[in-house]
Amino acid sequence: MQARRKQAARKQATKRISKQPAKRTVKQAVTKAVTIEKKRVALRINREDYELFIYPHRTLGEVLRDELHLTGTKQSCSEGACGTCTVLLDGAPVRSCLLLAVDVEGKEITTIEGLAENGKLHPIQEAFVEHYAIQCGFCTPGMILTAKAFLDTNPHPTEEEIRNAISGNICRCTGYSKIVEAIKAASERGR
Amino acid sequence: MTERSLIGKSMQRVDAIAKATGQALFTADLSLPRMLCGKVLRSPYPHAKIVRIDTSRAEKLPGVKAVVTGQDSSDEKWGVFRYTQDQRFLPVDKVRYIGEEIAAVAALDEDTAFEALGLIRVEYAELPAVFTMDDALKVDAPIIHEGYKGNVNIHVKIDVGDVEKGFKESFLVREDTFDAPEESYFQAEPYAVVAQFDNAGSLEIWMPNAGPHLKSKPLANVLGVPLNKVRVRKITIGGAFGGRSEISPADVMCALLAKKSGRPVKIVYTREENTIATRQAHGMRAIIKTGVDREGRVQARDITCYMDGGAYSSTGPIATSVPFLCMEQAYRMENVRYHGYRVFTNKPIRGMYRCHGRAFACGVDLQLDLLGEELGIDPVEMRLRNARQPGDYTPTKSQVGSCAMVETIVKSAEAARWKEKWGKLPPYHGIGIGCNSVQTGFPMGIRGGSEAFVKFNEDGGITVISGVVDNGQGNETMLVQIAAEELGLSPQDVQLVSADTEVTPSDPGSYSMVSTFVGGNAVRLAAQDAKNKLFVIAAKALEAKPEELIAKDRKIMVKGEPERSLSLTKAVRMALSRGQSISGEGGYWPKVDSRREWVENPFGQLSEAFSFGTTIVEVKVDPETGRVTVLETWAAQDVGYALNPKIIESQFEGGLAMGGQGGMLTEYHVFDRGRVLNPTQLDYKLPLACDMPKINNIIVESHDPNGPYGAKEAAMSIAMSAAQGYAAAICNAIGVPIKEFPITPEKILKALEEKASRQPSAVSGPED
Repeated sequence: MQARRKQAARKQATKRISKQPAKRTVKQAVTKAVTIEKKRVALRINREDYELFIYPHRTLGEVLRDELHLTGTKQSCSEGACGTCTVLLDGAPVRSCLLLAVDVEGKEITTIEGLAENGKLHPIQEAFVEHYAIQCGFCTPGMILTAKAFLDTNPHPTEEEIRNAISGNICRCTGYSKIVEAIKAASERGR
Repeated sequence: MTERSLIGKSMQRVDAIAKATGQALFTADLSLPRMLCGKVLRSPYPHAKIVRIDTSRAEKLPGVKAVVTGQDSSDEKWGVFRYTQDQRFLPVDKVRYIGEEIAAVAALDEDTAFEALGLIRVEYAELPAVFTMDDALKVDAPIIHEGYKGNVNIHVKIDVGDVEKGFKESFLVREDTFDAPEESYFQAEPYAVVAQFDNAGSLEIWMPNAGPHLKSKPLANVLGVPLNKVRVRKITIGGAFGGRSEISPADVMCALLAKKSGRPVKIVYTREENTIATRQAHGMRAIIKTGVDREGRVQARDITCYMDGGAYSSTGPIATSVPFLCMEQAYRMENVRYHGYRVFTNKPIRGMYRCHGRAFACGVDLQLDLLGEELGIDPVEMRLRNARQPGDYTPTKSQVGSCAMVETIVKSAEAARWKEKWGKLPPYHGIGIGCNSVQTGFPMGIRGGSEAFVKFNEDGGITVISGVVDNGQGNETMLVQIAAEELGLSPQDVQLVSADTEVTPSDPGSYSMVSTFVGGNAVRLAAQDAKNKLFVIAAKALEAKPEELIAKDRKIMVKGEPERSLSLTKAVRMALSRGQSISGEGGYWPKVDSRREWVENPFGQLSEAFSFGTTIVEVKVDPETGRVTVLETWAAQDVGYALNPKIIESQFEGGLAMGGQGGMLTEYHVFDRGRVLNPTQLDYKLPLACDMPKINNIIVESHDPNGPYGAKEAAMSIAMSAAQGYAAAICNAIGVPIKEFPITPEKILKALEEKASRQPSAVSGPED
């Protein structure tokens, strides 16, 4: 079953991009044109394997969203300032707008879509829902993944530690109070 | 009063799970078959004639499917009002700010679209530009729009009572000038549009919006198609905060590209574009003169306000009025004069912002503190003596119904232990208070009302159809909560169809703080209409009168006799078997004075209800670095009735972060000859989790007679009063007023330095 799904996903991903040109000439500021060739990459995302054929200058965020339609990973500032596009790389939070997809081969990538298992919300997701930590919801995936990575390393944090841990994730709606409460509640649930 | 099952309780948000799992789709997440990528070419000049645009090379680039310029767009100009129609999508004659749209391309992918932009040749003839209000108002200043002499876009003039007499009779008069530069919304979601046309020429379009119907009408006008051919679809929206109510050039460009290419097109703005080419808040100078009697009661006020409007009118008349209106609602003032000037400059366009005019609001409140200081009256007492009371009329003739301004002051002062702290805090510690009032809706003519439908399904569940949009504040939850409450259903029984112009009736949108009052009332009435029809059916079966029945726990029962009941499902099926389907309709039009007009006639009932809020802030300032640490805050607002207390709390907290923490400490734009130097989160400092103080929420209820269950606007009075409370607390901590906002460390150090040089005896510190 698992193998079949993998195969199907691989086939789908390869098919999707094979329609695009495999070579691209990019004009650079120095007038000299360079040709960039697509590259084969194997990514492991949310416990599934994908084989893709992509330009090497594509960021992980772009590949997740545009090639694999994992749109739970949002893009906001595209320069590493807002934390919205956070995903986990071998369990550590990274900004998918600053990483090239070709550089994360062999790593285990977790996106928000991979957090709930068998239809059951992760305790942090549950806590965000129950504690009104979500308003517009745009920063939520990045915030939840940052919180997960943090609680994995510090399961019983103080409020100050929580606030520092999520300080790389900007939320414009909540004033953070209810987000901090939710993370605290999730940490206590794990106690 | 019957006991309520859902209203007044913290029901879980209906959209929370979809958002927590990444399933909620925002506009940029949409993907349609054969969809193209759209990109926009923008003006590099602040003010220039467009001599020639040559798109031929771009059109020939393989992969480019459409290029549009001003030639493809209609002559129709956009303006919120008939007299402010001054923005053409796209421009043909000249550009008026750096970043204005010139052309747009749609291509197979982003790289090709970018390459095509580089192939468009635009010949400009540069014109002299103005970047400050002072320069724009000079007699010989370059004119940005023909017909606007001296670049004055809007002049709002209000003169009530006898201001001169009031000053003459005052014991003490002060005049101060307050300044604040522009700030921005920084909605989490950058602006994005997806558009496609079908074979019948109907447009289907998705974008973040604060009112789909406010988008569809101007789109229909610009495209020259009837309204039923413009279908603005519902989509998850990542914040608005007063913005996103108007049509955006991006909407038009995306539609034009989709039409020309015959394919769906998606435009996603970068963060930089979202800051420069959507809207910003107005920069402002407020000259405030206030006279008070010996007891600190305001006798007269004269305010002149200059607002930097940027290149086009946008919501100008409203934006020029609202800062004044908020303060005339919050405080009593019999004799008052207001001159509000909105000035054109060659800078990005300014619109409505959640914290209307920080220079104005903080100025009025800070001046009240300064007057009180001279009179020996403490700030809380100053506010209690001037606070708006229920039953009052505002100077511009709005009757204030429900009003618990005083209660918000008293409760927040008690919670903050104001009396123990005022004047007794250690050096460089300070406490401050701010009060404000916000409208629950504006007069919006034929778009002022909301209509809703409720239809019963044969299993007893319902579908609610409403034009109300949710930008993140929880409007969808509010609608579901009301419908479920009225019909005795659980939230899971309610399917909501909202914010889609093809399906849902007209609605004023969320930007005038009116969704609960108007949209909520409409859904409540629609649910009651359906319920009444069902009660007629059930009454016969239960051998009771319809008026004796209530709906609760998915049952219809005789009041006080729960054993005499009938399941809702059965009642609906009984109705169907008699050839009657059960549905309800409800509409709510707020009772406002339709003759009131922002510029021509700024008198009459403005809103049916007003909210009132007080924020108290305690800070400490490091005199070495000028750094402010906010110790604790108390936010109290009269929300009428708290339909969902936790959602309201979360709005208070967000409002305080935006208006107070961001608005008063770090947020402002820097320009260099019309170019925004800090358009992204890297340089524009938004509050972070580690910055935020403890927020104590105090919900005050005045039970508005006309709001649904007594509810009215909830939380914007916090966003505004927080700014005032922050400013007051910092000035209290350092012992000198700062009249330029936000209050950055440099300004604090400069103020302390000036204070020390003025008082040579006090050089050893304020402890002396």
